Amino acid sequence: MENKKHSMKDDFTMLALLIIPVGVAINFVGAQIAAVLKLPIYMDSIGTIFSAMLCGPFVGAVAGGLTNIVTGITMPVNFAFMPVNIVIGLLTGFLSRKNMFAIWWKSIVSVLLIAFVTIAVSSPIVVLVYGGVTGSTTSIITATIMAAGANIWTAVIGTEGVFTLIDKVVAYVISLLVIKVIPPRTLIKFGCGEHFIQEK
Amino acid sequence: MENTYIEKIQIRKKNKLAALYPSTKMLVVVLYSLCTFVIGTIKITKYDLPLMLIPWYLVILIICYTSGALHKSKNALNVILGLSLFILVAQAFLVPGGALIWKFGFLKMYQKGLATGISLAFMIMDVGGIFVWLFQTTENKEIASALEASGMNHKISYIFISSLQMIDVLGKNSKTIMNAQKARGIETEGNLIVRAKAFFPALVPLILGAVIGSEERVLTLEARGFACKGPKTHIFKLQKSGCEPRVKVIAIIVTVFIIGGRIALWIL
Repeated sequence: MENKKHSMKDDFTMLALLIIPVGVAINFVGAQIAAVLKLPIYMDSIGTIFSAMLCGPFVGAVAGGLTNIVTGITMPVNFAFMPVNIVIGLLTGFLSRKNMFAIWWKSIVSVLLIAFVTIAVSSPIVVLVYGGVTGSTTSIITATIMAAGANIWTAVIGTEGVFTLIDKVVAYVISLLVIKVIPPRTLIKFGCGEHFIQEK
Repeated sequence: MENTYIEKIQIRKKNKLAALYPSTKMLVVVLYSLCTFVIGTIKITKYDLPLMLIPWYLVILIICYTSGALHKSKNALNVILGLSLFILVAQAFLVPGGALIWKFGFLKMYQKGLATGISLAFMIMDVGGIFVWLFQTTENKEIASALEASGMNHKISYIFISSLQMIDVLGKNSKTIMNAQKARGIETEGNLIVRAKAFFPALVPLILGAVIGSEERVLTLEARGFACKGPKTHIFKLQKSGCEPRVKVIAIIVTVFIIGGRIALWIL
């Protein structure tokens, strides 16, 4: 199993195809639950991270991209953030394939890396497309910092940075909690599932 | 004639504009967005404001009205309107530079901030609005069918349709799970930490259930020949409204006219 070659077609098994809609729906419902509980974070990438951890980078990227297309149907503003979700999916998938979620310190490095890349991709979109303010909870903080005289880039990266990190840590913990309780006979059917099976 | 099942699932629209073929609508959306960017470069009044974007928004209202979808798209348009206003106000008061236009106490509005604010807010309103029109007048089934007709893999259109259905299903499940967890004593109200703690027991069972469910759906789909190679049959037939060539020509003429006008303004 060590030298398993990966082609894009192998990634998209029947089960992986059916995980994509689940991932999209989790992204959507996660954001909804976060809104119901009045939490100041988006939580709109749990499904992307979950499907990428289980099924590899390309499935994660498709789930991420499709989320923004589907939510864009009712809220076209979301189209602009499509690259962010695709990059999260790709990165998480590659990390999972390299078994970077196996040991605790590797997981911390991975989650930090995901959060860092997310900020690097999303801040230019927030600044260049929406001028720093997107109408979400965090943008009120961004606006306050900007009003205090800070540079727009500092303000956006500063606020988005803190919330993105929390967002990604929570998304990772939830994905891991779910994967831990999936029985091994199901896990083995997923592309990257074997990494999460514990030997007894 | 008796209404058969096959007859029932067909979509027939009376309105010619709403019944356009999805790819024609897509062309309109692309050309409209292009025009929005071109119009955004026209600066008028002594403060150099891209005010022409505001009348351009009327086009969306007219298109929505003639397609008979104004009422349906009102909610989505309002959300975008609110967001645009928020961006406009934030930009106008936060970005310094250029001449001072208006001052009230500590609030100062500068020319540069106002110009960026108007340009951003109305571009989002215009481009967002045309997408609202596209999706409010087109059913998801039609989009998927048009995608497949244009040569896309049937698996992709299945994923698209299935995602939309899955959102409904999981949305309902999440309500059930939330209620069940509340009944078991998990608090969903209170301070931030209490609410954050409720997030985990709400989501974990939801995701787990969905994953186990999709394992069963694989068997169901394979038993019905989803993975078979060869031509697929469809019960749903996508129809053209007959106005496609006319709409395409009008859209292209308007675009050429606007780009021509912009170039003429540069030269003059």
